[in-house]
Amino acid sequence: MRLRAAVFLILGGLGTWGILHAQKPFLSYESTEEHAEAALPPDWERQAEWTRGRLKYTSSTWEHPNGQNTGRYGWRTDYPLGDRHTLQGLMRLTRVDAKSVEQVVELDNSSDIYNWPFLYGVEVGHWSLNDEEADQLRDYLLRGGFFMTDDFHGTQEWDVFMEGMRKVFPRRPVTDIDNKDEIFHVIYDIDQRSRIPGAQFIYSGIPWEFDGFEPKFRAIYDDKGRIMVGICHNVDMGDAIEWSDDPRYPENYASLAYRVSANYVMYDLTH
Amino acid sequence: MFEFLFKYPLSIYRQGTFIFLAGWPLWLMGLGILAAAGVLGFLIWRQTSGSARMGVVRQGSVWILQTALAALLFFLLWHPALSVSALKPQQNIVAVVIDDSTSMTTNDENSTRKEAAEKVLNGGLLKALQEKFQVRLYKMSDHAERIDKLEQLTAGATATHIGESLKQVAADASSLPIGAMILLSDGADNTGGVDLETLSEIRRQRIPVHTIGLGRETMSHDVEISNVDVAARALPESRLGATVSFHQHGYTGQKAKIILKEGSKVVASQDVTLKAEGTEQVETVLFNAGDAGVKTLEAAIEPFPNEENARNNRVTRLVNVDPRKPRILYLEGEPRWEFKFLKRAVEDDKTLDVASILRTAPNKLYRQGVCRPGDTAHPQVNGKCNEMEDGFPSKIEDLFAFDGLIFGSVDAPYLTKNQQDMVKQFVDRRGGGVLFLGGKDSLSDGGWAKSAAADILPTTLPDRKNTYSFVGADVELTPAGQDSLITRIEEDPAKNVERWKKLPYIRTFQDPGDPKLGAVVLANFVPHEGGGVKRPLLVTMNYGRGRSAIFATGGSWRWQMLQPLADMSHEMFYRQLLRWVVGDTPRHITGSTPKSLLADESHVKLRAEVRDKTYLPASDAIVEAHITGEGAQQETVNMVPEPLEQGVYGADWTAPQAGSYIVEVVAKRGTEEIGRDTFTFRREDGIAENFHVEQNRELLEKLSAETGGSYYKPADAQKLGKDINYSQAGITVRETRDLWDMPAIFLLFLGIRAGEWLLRRRWGVI
Repeated sequence: MRLRAAVFLILGGLGTWGILHAQKPFLSYESTEEHAEAALPPDWERQAEWTRGRLKYTSSTWEHPNGQNTGRYGWRTDYPLGDRHTLQGLMRLTRVDAKSVEQVVELDNSSDIYNWPFLYGVEVGHWSLNDEEADQLRDYLLRGGFFMTDDFHGTQEWDVFMEGMRKVFPRRPVTDIDNKDEIFHVIYDIDQRSRIPGAQFIYSGIPWEFDGFEPKFRAIYDDKGRIMVGICHNVDMGDAIEWSDDPRYPENYASLAYRVSANYVMYDLTH
Repeated sequence: MFEFLFKYPLSIYRQGTFIFLAGWPLWLMGLGILAAAGVLGFLIWRQTSGSARMGVVRQGSVWILQTALAALLFFLLWHPALSVSALKPQQNIVAVVIDDSTSMTTNDENSTRKEAAEKVLNGGLLKALQEKFQVRLYKMSDHAERIDKLEQLTAGATATHIGESLKQVAADASSLPIGAMILLSDGADNTGGVDLETLSEIRRQRIPVHTIGLGRETMSHDVEISNVDVAARALPESRLGATVSFHQHGYTGQKAKIILKEGSKVVASQDVTLKAEGTEQVETVLFNAGDAGVKTLEAAIEPFPNEENARNNRVTRLVNVDPRKPRILYLEGEPRWEFKFLKRAVEDDKTLDVASILRTAPNKLYRQGVCRPGDTAHPQVNGKCNEMEDGFPSKIEDLFAFDGLIFGSVDAPYLTKNQQDMVKQFVDRRGGGVLFLGGKDSLSDGGWAKSAAADILPTTLPDRKNTYSFVGADVELTPAGQDSLITRIEEDPAKNVERWKKLPYIRTFQDPGDPKLGAVVLANFVPHEGGGVKRPLLVTMNYGRGRSAIFATGGSWRWQMLQPLADMSHEMFYRQLLRWVVGDTPRHITGSTPKSLLADESHVKLRAEVRDKTYLPASDAIVEAHITGEGAQQETVNMVPEPLEQGVYGADWTAPQAGSYIVEVVAKRGTEEIGRDTFTFRREDGIAENFHVEQNRELLEKLSAETGGSYYKPADAQKLGKDINYSQAGITVRETRDLWDMPAIFLLFLGIRAGEWLLRRRWGVI
């Protein structure tokens, strides 16, 4: 089913979720990619200990000079199929009691985002954070939230991402994560981290985008040496997981994306 | 009045035995009374029968009165008398024991108690006694000491032990003809009273103790601390409560300030409103235990300007802040936010070491806070470094190396039967603490109700599944929770209650069932749905040597995420809860003394409880106590097994001087050391007399009543000159005192006759 309506649907559950006054109900938005569309799973209402928050942000008006603009989908990239596959993978590979659906959250100055301590941001090379949003994201992270970014590539998208992150943490360094860091070992030992290309690899055969030739796993740490922002740059785990059930997409990239995602979630839940 | 009516003082009646001197049998008196009753009945019936004014009731009344008169005459004919044992003049000794403690310097209105005692004795009593007896003077402190004259009294002794002193005087009676004792005291005994052994010793010798109570029975303006209760041991930086009990006279409704000091440093203070006159008031003042070491705490209530005795406003206590870092093992069955945020909440607590095993995947464990090769942060345990590589410990000594356990969302069958039993023994035998958290695989849903560890749970789990639900709910403290240190996230109790009401709601709850007998519910869960029926959320219970708790949620992490960054309520709650879990977990050897503060005492009882590697009582150990005093002098005392307690060793020791003492108890089996423990005590002189300065009339009255003596106020004390003549101790002679001529009998005779006359006049039959 393709949802074209420009409005989001509030799907049931209001009776239950509405009681939890500071926590917004599950919201389903229109997918902007045909491949990423997905029907609601039958158990979408099942409550669980964990789910992934998908960050809904305002996209910048910036475009690549060559006309390419993977950021045109903004926060909805790979949504919702990428999320649903990720959650299924976590339930299958780990003992995390995950919901079958993601939770879209916003930096809207409400308290809702604090109900979802794990946040996934995609195409953040095209985000546009204002000061209030940056303040709330900083507060969220310092209280104990975790922010995982994915699917932004090359120098220019990095710069845009960092422009936002500098509003969040003006002085905290961004460092390459050491191979010994627990985030690469908490469930799976991921010593070899190859490229994880996006779906465009199926058609182009090119495993990188723009000048993002090398996959980068970087982080911003808190004062106790724990990662609070896991920055996956020049990789597209969202696509890899979304397309993992497509035989044209290489299994090794999809598997690596699942393992990295599981490790990031597990790292957050243990640190 | 008594003496006027009954001819002799009450004391003679108490001492004496009632007898009839006529020598005729008593049955004859009974027969005579019966015969008189019969004759009188017949005569009354004959004279008044047929009279309209004398019915049966009136006839009966007249008959009763006349029979009573006849009975009285028979009673007098039999010659009633008292046989009393009287002290032989000039052949007996009367011991006069005078309180010589500093409480006798207390000024009651116009004079001190010492002056009042001297006034009583010099006002004629001593002279009256000396006319009939030899008088021995004793001054009393923690013992009795013979003095020749009253001028030797100083009122400078630092303690009063009435029982001990009287026992000493009574011991003289075995060789001397002591006929009676007179005790002049305020009854302010520092040992808490006169023990039964002393009382029976005096009773056995039949020495009456007459007491003269000195001093006011209540002060007009005074605040006195009666007790301060504070944990003898604590973990560094832990929050402690000093429970200060006090009472006051003359300041009802006024504000006072309780101050806790360590040396000159104020560690806490609290304003209180004083309750009703004489009422025991209890207030808890919270303070931080601070760094490791022995802390001498002084609890004081700021004296009022016109307070009569400011010396009873402060009390000292010792707290041994133990430098140990208890280890807690947290077994979690599923990765979840409660796991993450619980660990974060306590990670800055330097006194807690939380090791964890998390089931990350069906066949994977993730261990944290444990010894791993190359890890210097966590030492080897029992000689191994790959600690808990195979998961939850399967050997008892590996499990017992921990002080506390936390079970998250983990089902009981994940543990073997043996491991479940070890968990029970961990609480019962080891003395550890266990915390069960709510979760989809916890408590009932995790099969814990049917596990070998079910007994240690503080609730009876529901006999059903699906007890874990995602329901928004507020948390409400119970009265016990309002008093508990576990749930104290605000210093002020009232603010604390409000603070809990304002905490973000918790999102998950598990029905833990009903609390068991002895369990304490500290907090309830008030769901937003279902009519808001409260269910227990936080329940604690002591079991065996240890303790257990249920915190029936996996959703308290919201207190961290949904409150401002600076808010520490989530951290404080979990730190306090986990400190409760492990704070009292004993080690292999636990040394203690019943009194850590010896107030004007020197005798101390040392005690050590010794357990082997598996925490079974070790009765074959060699136990020594190394005692170090303030002057760095050291003494080693061998401790011997207590006969009735397995694994318990004891010793008696005398602290030679005032000051603090550190005792290190070491237990060995052969050359192998089982363990060692350190505790402290302190001897303080010159403080006991500052307390209980009001006259303890109850004690003095009891003492005299139990021994056949009498209690006197100073104003009545001169009567003692006569009362003291009668005693069964010393050299005595039996004396017979007639009772037939006492005014009471004459008045009774007149009363009966007058009564009959009045009745007859009223009925018109005269």
